[in-house]
Amino acid sequence: MSSLKLDRVGLPESSEALRTEVRGFLEANRDSLPHPNSDFSSGHDPEFSAKLGAQGWIGMTWPKAYGGGERTFFDRYVVTEELLAAGAPVSAHWIADRQSGPLLLRFGSEAQRAEYLPAIARGESYFSIGMSEPNTGSDLASVRTAARKVDGGWVINGTKIWTTDAHRNHFMITLVRTEPGSERHAGLSQLIVDLRNDGAQVRPIRNMSGGEDFNEVVFVDVFVPDDRVVGEPGNGWQQVTSELAYERSGPERFLSAFRVFVELVRAVGDNPTDSELAAVGRIAAQLMTLRRMSVSVAGMLEAGKEVAVEAALVKELGNNFEKLMPDMARLAASDRRSSAFRRCYEETMLLSPSFTLRGGTREILRGVIARGLGLR
Amino acid sequence: MSEQRDLIVDTAERLFGDLVDKAMLDSAERGDWQQGLHASLVENGFHELGSAGSGTGADELFAFLEVAGQHAAPLPLADTLIANAWLGTIEGASGIGEVDGDVVRDVPWGRAVRRVVGITQGSREVVVITAPEVVRQGANMAGEPRDDIALTADAQRLQVPVDPGHWLALSRVALMAGGLRSALAQAIRYATEREQFGRPISKFQAIQHTLAVMAAEVAAAGRAADAAVSAVGSEREEAELAAAKSRCGEAVAVVAEAAHQVHGAIGFTHEHRLHHTTRRLWAWRDEFGNEVAWQRKLGAIVVAQGADGVWDFVTSGR
Ligand SMILES: Cc1cc2nc3c(=O)[nH]c(=O)nc-3n(C[C@H](O)[C@H](O)[C@H](O)COP(=O)(O)OP(=O)(O)OC[C@H]3O[C@@H](n4cnc5c(N)ncnc54)[C@H](O)[C@@H]3O)c2cc1C
Repeated sequence: MSSLKLDRVGLPESSEALRTEVRGFLEANRDSLPHPNSDFSSGHDPEFSAKLGAQGWIGMTWPKAYGGGERTFFDRYVVTEELLAAGAPVSAHWIADRQSGPLLLRFGSEAQRAEYLPAIARGESYFSIGMSEPNTGSDLASVRTAARKVDGGWVINGTKIWTTDAHRNHFMITLVRTEPGSERHAGLSQLIVDLRNDGAQVRPIRNMSGGEDFNEVVFVDVFVPDDRVVGEPGNGWQQVTSELAYERSGPERFLSAFRVFVELVRAVGDNPTDSELAAVGRIAAQLMTLRRMSVSVAGMLEAGKEVAVEAALVKELGNNFEKLMPDMARLAASDRRSSAFRRCYEETMLLSPSFTLRGGTREILRGVIARGLGLR
Repeated sequence: MSEQRDLIVDTAERLFGDLVDKAMLDSAERGDWQQGLHASLVENGFHELGSAGSGTGADELFAFLEVAGQHAAPLPLADTLIANAWLGTIEGASGIGEVDGDVVRDVPWGRAVRRVVGITQGSREVVVITAPEVVRQGANMAGEPRDDIALTADAQRLQVPVDPGHWLALSRVALMAGGLRSALAQAIRYATEREQFGRPISKFQAIQHTLAVMAAEVAAAGRAADAAVSAVGSEREEAELAAAKSRCGEAVAVVAEAAHQVHGAIGFTHEHRLHHTTRRLWAWRDEFGNEVAWQRKLGAIVVAQGADGVWDFVTSGR
């Protein structure tokens, strides 16, 4: 059973120095900010991503040989939290930096690393995640999209859905069944699909807040060459699950609604009532605690510890926080008229249903935690 | 430093594990002073944790209190250790309450302790009474004695080197962090032992999710408590303490309720041990400022930064 004890980890002095640099950069790029909310997936801005790449703030922990910075997880933590809190548009490079790059580093071929990683680190190459399908949500092992072996490569047929930014990004790492007749965890592989050139049909799906961020991606006999298989064919399940651990404990799991808190404090102003103070304090207490938990997990990752359960704890609490906080803020600000607050609240509220779905639903995470407790 | 803390925690775990049982908890609840337990703690030097010359500080003191909370140790340990750290070590126990006119209110085990300390919120001056006279016997909702002691003219007035109200609130934070962990552990153990519908109830997803939610709350409370302990004496002391008292209190609401739900009717009996933990949690979250009182303090600190200073405030907590 996991001890559930989060180590007493603080960010080192050197990372704090980096914070000043990031704030200076953000100040100098005020024009790109703030995006009215701090949701990591709602501002796609290639120009901004390229600027971050030029700063060395993408692929920060990767080897220099692949364009990385060989920096610590703490440094990466500081950069990502500063960007999110400022409402910076980070969606373009986000998945490539957080997930696809590390996946390729770990399982990709030498040629793949050399081809894809430097461009990601420059902030010029963007990736999507092709896991979910119309009939495959939480039960990821039920994927049906299949790739048939042909001379020199694979031919894909099937449909992926909810694929964030597939209509804007360059590549999608796609989980497909490569062994005919295989079931569940066996016979799965990850293929790199070139979204702009391979012929997959990408159709944006409008979400309830009016945005068009996720997509349906349809494959009709789409050919992908052999050199775009990530890792060994058939090893897809192991790869895809290792990918999820990175996905769960970062600051994007509790900061999506942060700007609402800022606007609440602004609306409350210099003459707060006792109940407004209590609401601000309550939110601050939860936020401060979540951030410490999340930094602890970053530290445990840095120390090479196994953190799957701890990461799930952070996501569980963090998603609930970012989902419920706009509502706490709304009630707290009842007596204040502030158009900035309303705008930020409404925008975040309309995105909030997704917070406990994307990256593993609340129910699935609770199952992960329960397993960590030795109950399953 | 941290090795020493781990050693203290391990030793305390063993000692409380061996000595604190249901019979002792019941006896204490009837008002019987647990001299045997007190003597064992003194013998092992735990009463000196955090005192000058002991080679330990606030870190060890509060880490020990967390273990005491986990075991619901039925002694005024927070008071005893803190009074020793502030005023010099005595072998007998101490109790600390708030000065209210001519009494010191709600002193833990006021009837049995050798020394009573009265604090006033926001002041570093404390009163010290060495021959306590009980004017009213009472108890908190956990049945822990909370007695009013006469503030007599011969009481000494002394300055202490810390904010007394902060230390007392932090002691309840540490006790809660430990008690929460215990409530979770008890619920997990019970869920894996109790069978219904032909299998352990821990196999039902509804129960698993309840336990997972508890675990998340316990982890949050533990991390918040630890942050507050490491901020003692720093400029962040009040802010981190406020966050921790609020966050731990919120965790209590979730965890105590859920622990009882998982235990079914047996957990509602006096016979069962669970209530010694949950009733203490409900009492501790109210002592020395409840969630809202501390949320207001933290809210005032945050609002004073202005909206554009909020993020800097959050991130300057190291
Ligand atoms: C904004 C957004 C962006 C996304 N981006 C991507 C992306 O880029 N790439 C990608 O591949 N996917 C993406 N997704 C999809 C996301 O991963 C899925 O939504 C998620 O895995 C859940 O699948 P589902 O929506 O089909 O719900 P379902 O799995 O059908 O679940 C419906 C409900 O049933 C519950 N449930 C399911 N199984 C169980 C169980 N065993 N026990 C208890 N309850 C259960 C769920 O928790 C949920 O409450 C995105 C989703 C959103 C909302």
